[in-house]
Amino acid sequence: MNDFSELENDLRALRPARPSPVLFERIQEAMAENRKASVSDAKPMASWLRRFTETSYRFGIGLAAAAAAVLLLLARINTDPTRNEDKEIAQVSPPVETGPVRPAFSGRNGVDGSISSNKFISAGATQVVYNSRDEGLQFADSSRQPLRRLRYQTQQTWQWRNPSTGASLRVSYPSEEVVLIPVSGQ
Amino acid sequence: MDNIASHENWKNCFSEIGPGLLLFARQWTRSAADAEDIVQEAFVKFWRRNYKINNRALLYATVRSIALDFIRRDKRRARREATVFAEADPSVEPQFEWEDEAQSALAAAVNCLPHDQREVIVLKIWNELTFSEIADALGISQNTAASRYRYALANLKKSLQPQ
Repeated sequence: MNDFSELENDLRALRPARPSPVLFERIQEAMAENRKASVSDAKPMASWLRRFTETSYRFGIGLAAAAAAVLLLLARINTDPTRNEDKEIAQVSPPVETGPVRPAFSGRNGVDGSISSNKFISAGATQVVYNSRDEGLQFADSSRQPLRRLRYQTQQTWQWRNPSTGASLRVSYPSEEVVLIPVSGQ
Repeated sequence: MDNIASHENWKNCFSEIGPGLLLFARQWTRSAADAEDIVQEAFVKFWRRNYKINNRALLYATVRSIALDFIRRDKRRARREATVFAEADPSVEPQFEWEDEAQSALAAAVNCLPHDQREVIVLKIWNELTFSEIADALGISQNTAASRYRYALANLKKSLQPQ
């Protein structure tokens, strides 16, 4: 490093330009504003403690919001006033084999040219029974045996997925189903 | 000079380190006004966060970070700066106070150094940081900082030699 000692001395002799007096004033104003802000706090916290509490506070808010969302979701599912004593209210069926779903529009080249990339495969089906009602025993016209009439109100959801493009299609609709169960005599 | 926040006479502190900070900031701006904006923001931010003034690497890293953000905030400004850097005359505004032609030539040679060498030499010569502090401030190893310093001095020596 001795080769450069003279050059280093020359460099040190070169003085950088000094900041303008305006900069001092601007910093002074900024310092004063910050000091006011810090004095207004009754008991200033250490920076690490402040950072920790701010982080904890934000984390707490986020956690509380997430918990509230989960509770709302559970309440929406479980607090149906018209529900009966059915234990099973939802069922998920395995994916159903369905044929390719062709889009409503087939593009410029027509359906045949794009069928391979537009092939949707079934990704699942869900049936949520949100209400069931026992309508009592009935006698059908053609039968002398009593039948128990059960009415299910459900929400059915079907999903398809296009593996090549990653696109997904989801159809959800309400449905009502009436089931007649023969009651055997005692 | 333990802590900027508890340091009543911050002006003395800033008078001591201000010129070096400004010179460091001007590497990215080439405009004294923009560099002063950066230094002000960095110094006040450093002060507000109650950091130790002895942690000089953090102070210079703060200046560097704010300078880079400053450039990113305005891409048109960055393009303009890039144009300025590319032009032959980089010393749009004087960054040094020279007394004679020799110092003027030296200042011009410093301005013409590659950016990575220039920032190391600015931190070492005019801000008196150690290689360890330079490494922390720039996010490089000490060996890299030392080698860049040597390359910078070699380049300066070469450029100042009579043709």
